[in-house]
Amino acid sequence: MLTRVKSAVANFMGGIMAGSSGSEHSGGGCGGSDLPLRFPYGRPEFLGLSQDEVECSADHIARPILILKETRRLPWATGYAEVINAGKSTHNEDQASCEVLTVKKKAGAITSTPNRNSAKRRSSLPNGEGLQLKENSESEGISCHYWSLFDGHAGSGAAVVASRLLQHHVTEQLQDIVEILKNSAVLPPTCLGEEPDHTPANSRTLTRAASLRGGVGAPGSPGTPPTRFFTEKKIPHECLVIGALESAFKEMDLQIERERSLYNISGGCTALIVVCLLGKLYVANAGDSRAIIVRNGEIIPMSSEFTPETERQRLQYLAFMQPHLLGNEFTHLEFPRRVQRKELGKKMLYRDFNMTGWAYKTIEDDDLKFPLIYGEGKKARVMATIGVTRGLGDHDLKVHDSNIYIKPFLSSAPEVRVYDLSKYEHGADDVLILATDGLWDVLSNEEVAEAITQFLPNCDPDDPHRYTLAAQDLVMRARGVLKDRGWRISNDRLGSGDDISVYVIPLIHGNKLS
Amino acid sequence: MAYAYLFKYIIIGDTGVGKSCLLLQFTDKRFQPVHDLTIGVEFGARMITIDGKQIKLQIWDTAGQESFRSITRSYYRGAAGALLVYDITRRDTFNHLTTWLEDARQHSNSNMVIMLIGNKSDLESRREVKKEEGEAFAREHGLIFMETSAKTASNVEEAFINTAKEIYEKIQEGVFDINNEANGIKIGPQHAATNATHAGSLFLRLAAQTGPLAHSLTLSSCPAET
Repeated sequence: MLTRVKSAVANFMGGIMAGSSGSEHSGGGCGGSDLPLRFPYGRPEFLGLSQDEVECSADHIARPILILKETRRLPWATGYAEVINAGKSTHNEDQASCEVLTVKKKAGAITSTPNRNSAKRRSSLPNGEGLQLKENSESEGISCHYWSLFDGHAGSGAAVVASRLLQHHVTEQLQDIVEILKNSAVLPPTCLGEEPDHTPANSRTLTRAASLRGGVGAPGSPGTPPTRFFTEKKIPHECLVIGALESAFKEMDLQIERERSLYNISGGCTALIVVCLLGKLYVANAGDSRAIIVRNGEIIPMSSEFTPETERQRLQYLAFMQPHLLGNEFTHLEFPRRVQRKELGKKMLYRDFNMTGWAYKTIEDDDLKFPLIYGEGKKARVMATIGVTRGLGDHDLKVHDSNIYIKPFLSSAPEVRVYDLSKYEHGADDVLILATDGLWDVLSNEEVAEAITQFLPNCDPDDPHRYTLAAQDLVMRARGVLKDRGWRISNDRLGSGDDISVYVIPLIHGNKLS
Repeated sequence: MAYAYLFKYIIIGDTGVGKSCLLLQFTDKRFQPVHDLTIGVEFGARMITIDGKQIKLQIWDTAGQESFRSITRSYYRGAAGALLVYDITRRDTFNHLTTWLEDARQHSNSNMVIMLIGNKSDLESRREVKKEEGEAFAREHGLIFMETSAKTASNVEEAFINTAKEIYEKIQEGVFDINNEANGIKIGPQHAATNATHAGSLFLRLAAQTGPLAHSLTLSSCPAET
């Protein structure tokens, strides 16, 4: 009751109280709403907004487009713009952060070999590359660039937390492998702590080929290492980075899960991050935000969306294997429409987890349950609840009016795509665009690419704000202008009423870097 | 922090007339001689007192450049007051006022109070627009008028505060529907609370207990008495 009154007051005050609700009644058992916030609500730190400015930005009527201020700069002259929704939630539930991370070997971390030993070996490499690495690396870390974008739902808590903390998980995961990554001449050791195979990558292939032929090189002769008679997968460095990012997402999700007993971390969020490390871009996406590269007018998709439709088979398979997750309320099968009781015994089109096509089956009682995945396109939902199937948070999310948890169906695992910056000489108008679904719901990749290729050449190439202006232009095109019948964009189409956040990241700086 | 009302303002006018400088002078009491281009919208806020009531001004400072016009147009919506600024040392900025006014009238709510401001009054030697011309334009279009200097702070306070007074009077007259946020006016938390429990002895008792609420009592009873 107290909580209800409290939240009523909070709503009344336009959410001003939301941050200050005390922690004295932590035993309330009302979804942790009495717990303190992990971080106060705000807009991305890099925008540098005061409390008053944050208040102004939350104007659902005029929907101001926020951009990086004249005096502020992001790494690589990255452009950024955002706008709040048209009233669906008090807060802008998108979040973002952008930083340069320094990844240093953790003190006391386990390394593959003692330093002295590896130094000796490296210096014996013919090209001297190992020696050079040794010179500048030991104490200095690798610096990497980090951009992130989160789209929250059912509250802004998870998105705010992820925007503050995910970069630390990324750093932490990379710390474990930083020494291996630096040593690009040698493939990552398969097993740490073991005497690693220090044969350079190219000759190693030969060795392996030789071992496959049956160990031609006189096994057992003195000085020759024992020949291996089994094959070993070669794991390239970039796969370690991919693994580190995947682990970082998982750790972030686990941290939210742990800390929700101490803090009020509301809702969940999608996560899209970009890490630029040693000349490569790693784009990790969990959710329905999207990244594309526009290079010389050509579109290169750098992510795919995870929705009930795109993940249908994974979700159905999970429900098939673990039917108790459906709480006896849902069926994992998909039908073209809801099945009616009077159709029992008839044959109807359906598809199961193992199918992409359709077949007929005889309708049984179980098929009358609500389908696990229902609705089409943006309206598709898992268990009639959520329209995005990967992300962070949502640990307390349940099917309305039931005790069925959604979380088991949601995955925190990102899809990671890699883009080698060094393989192309980028111009000033070649950019990576990251945006939440507010943009992509109303604009296609082609429209976005066209807008960018129209806009950028008309800006002074030396204007440090050209990418922010381009981001502002994209947000404007997706929000549209308010007419009598709501927000409208080109061709009198409906504009996006969602929160919209856009990064425009020039790739030319990636070339300068490497 | 508590306020009786919040008024939303928008500052418009050609690029370089001193819109951002007026805002900075009003909110921070300082002047920045270097012209930083505003490339969208920036915000400022300050508390003022009118008739013994705390009023929060939320000020939207827009880009003056033509290329941003399509973006800034949507910011008229939900503004209770507008400062339309020209530069007394640049005739063209005065000539463009009609266009600005048309834009404002078309995209704002009809009750929006518009204050016409001839800025840079400190640069008397370079004056191109006579004060009388500004006054005439204001009279003709039903605007309030002032000449200001963001540099010396002359009339800056007055420009913002007089606009607020005008809005406040319109509220008293019942011209503004204060419950419709699209009018650019929000009632402060306390007032909202008292409005909800309107009239009755309970309300009177509450008002007697706390200071700021007493003001709201006089406010709400005011129109009835006059």
